[in-house]
Amino acid sequence: MLSCRTKFRRRAKCLFISLSLGLVLSPACLPQPPAESGGINITVYGFSIMKEALENAIYPGFATKWKAEHGQEVRFTSSFAGSETVTNQILQGVRAEIAILAIERDAERLKQAGFVTSDWRELPYGGIVNQTPFVILVRPGNPQGIRDFPDLAKAGVRLVHPDPISSGGGQWSILAIYGSELKKSETQTGEPDRARAIQTLRGVWHNVISTPGSAREARTQFETGFGDALVTYELEGLLMKSAGSPVHIIVPRSTILSDHPAVVIDRNVAPAMRPVVNAFMHYLWSEEAQRAFVKYHFRSTTSEILNDENKELQPIEMPFTIEYFGGWSRAYPEIIEKVFRDQVQQTRR
Amino acid sequence: MSTVISTMRHVRGFDFARPLSIGMLIFMMLPLVFLPLASIFLFGTNKGLASFWAALSAPEAIFALKLSLATSFWATVFNVIFGLFAAYVLSRHNFWGRNALIVTISLPTAIPTAVAGFALLLLWGPYGTLGRFLSPHGIQIMFTGGAIILANIFVTFPLAFGVIKPVFDTMSRSLEEASATMGATRIQTFWHVTLPSLRGAIVSGALLTFARAVGEFGSTILVSGNLAGRTQTAPLYIFAKFNEGQIEAANAIAIVLALFSFLIFSVLFVARDWFDVD
Repeated sequence: MLSCRTKFRRRAKCLFISLSLGLVLSPACLPQPPAESGGINITVYGFSIMKEALENAIYPGFATKWKAEHGQEVRFTSSFAGSETVTNQILQGVRAEIAILAIERDAERLKQAGFVTSDWRELPYGGIVNQTPFVILVRPGNPQGIRDFPDLAKAGVRLVHPDPISSGGGQWSILAIYGSELKKSETQTGEPDRARAIQTLRGVWHNVISTPGSAREARTQFETGFGDALVTYELEGLLMKSAGSPVHIIVPRSTILSDHPAVVIDRNVAPAMRPVVNAFMHYLWSEEAQRAFVKYHFRSTTSEILNDENKELQPIEMPFTIEYFGGWSRAYPEIIEKVFRDQVQQTRR
Repeated sequence: MSTVISTMRHVRGFDFARPLSIGMLIFMMLPLVFLPLASIFLFGTNKGLASFWAALSAPEAIFALKLSLATSFWATVFNVIFGLFAAYVLSRHNFWGRNALIVTISLPTAIPTAVAGFALLLLWGPYGTLGRFLSPHGIQIMFTGGAIILANIFVTFPLAFGVIKPVFDTMSRSLEEASATMGATRIQTFWHVTLPSLRGAIVSGALLTFARAVGEFGSTILVSGNLAGRTQTAPLYIFAKFNEGQIEAANAIAIVLALFSFLIFSVLFVARDWFDVD
């Protein structure tokens, strides 16, 4: 009787050991197959909201075109995160060949560090692939009656705002709110009222309850029911709507159109890859690609007609661009640093 | 036997403390552990099993799971061998600086995993202390599967060691001495006498290490480059999908990882019992 039990126990133990060994050993046989059977691979790092347009339209579109012209398969691998995060990853040595960024400042950082050696502004349309204005997203029925940026400063509004430290969208949003107040005061009195703009920015930031790392993270947070309002790219609101999310898009009277530069990370491009990388860069400004961007709710940089065709892109009364502040080289130190960081952020604490 | 007596001692009639304390334990665990886990399962399957399966069979999801298993496997192999060796050296020999070494081995437990990640970047990155001498030769460790293994090794470093060392410490040396007097070499003694009594500890150490490595996130996101289908592990995939708002896809993989760790810890539980009886 007893020997029978020991025998059973021994057998069970044997079975158990082989099972657990099998469990642990099984993965050793399959180490990382990237499925590289011929063809070429382009590595693209993009800021968060580029994902759908690139993966669903731009990559397949270019792959078809290249295959037809050169008979060669092109594959893309990509990673998406906040623009500043993407830039830092590349600066740390990630092997990206192309980066599509939310802000010019990041393209310049890559250039100064020697990763981009060509002049990216020489590309078509100053290197800017597409645009999208900054809008406010609110809950259905707009319970707090938000019509414009200053309404976000009202008592009780809980605002989700991407983090300007890691997200390009977060910086655009600050410029949108600040510039919008300058622009409106300018049309009213003929003088841009900086004090009023700072005051509004302060009031809005008083209501910020969370600063997610990228525009996309901010949207996910908002979608999961957090906060009453979100300042983000118009495209995000339209994507949410097309996914059936109950959200209301408020287009402010005056807002900024963000410009998104595409750069080649020259240091990481092997000579053999040059032609295909260059072809891809130029493809971004082709009518086909621009049409695809508009289909995915961006605004085209090459053609107003394409934008007009998309009826969901609402007109903006007083739009402006980064040029209103004299370009990024002035906007970043003067507004993000001197106004936002030194005056708004400091008084928040 | 002794357990039976100790529970009997306090009982006259029905012991209310028993159901009460068990109920309280479960009640306390409900909002802390049970419900969060349950919500993953509820959310992951509320659109039907078909969409759960579709999320799970996406090529990038499968790749992420495979990559996680493979990198964790190699980290486990390394750390178990290392843990065995370190435990042997540190329990058999007493030398100056021994305690400092023990503390250093245990250190990764308390270091934030993000720090582990950027420490590796600062060392092996293309512009890091050592990495900068390697990158001109075309050798890049960071942003590859190798980097993920390194990060896993760092983060799970003390686990296997921590399980194996106490067994070494309490092991009677008389068997080893007997083996030596019978003319066995050091290696023979280790293989036939020392190792068999460590089986239980090795298996638990390996499973603990493996489980911890599969779930590793903080260091991996820094050193891997997070490329879908290339260097994206399962936890990174979950994070990316959640950020993209594809919560179903994130959930599907989360369920797999939850079941997986359930399996590992069940095995661990059974293993401990069996090997202790021996």
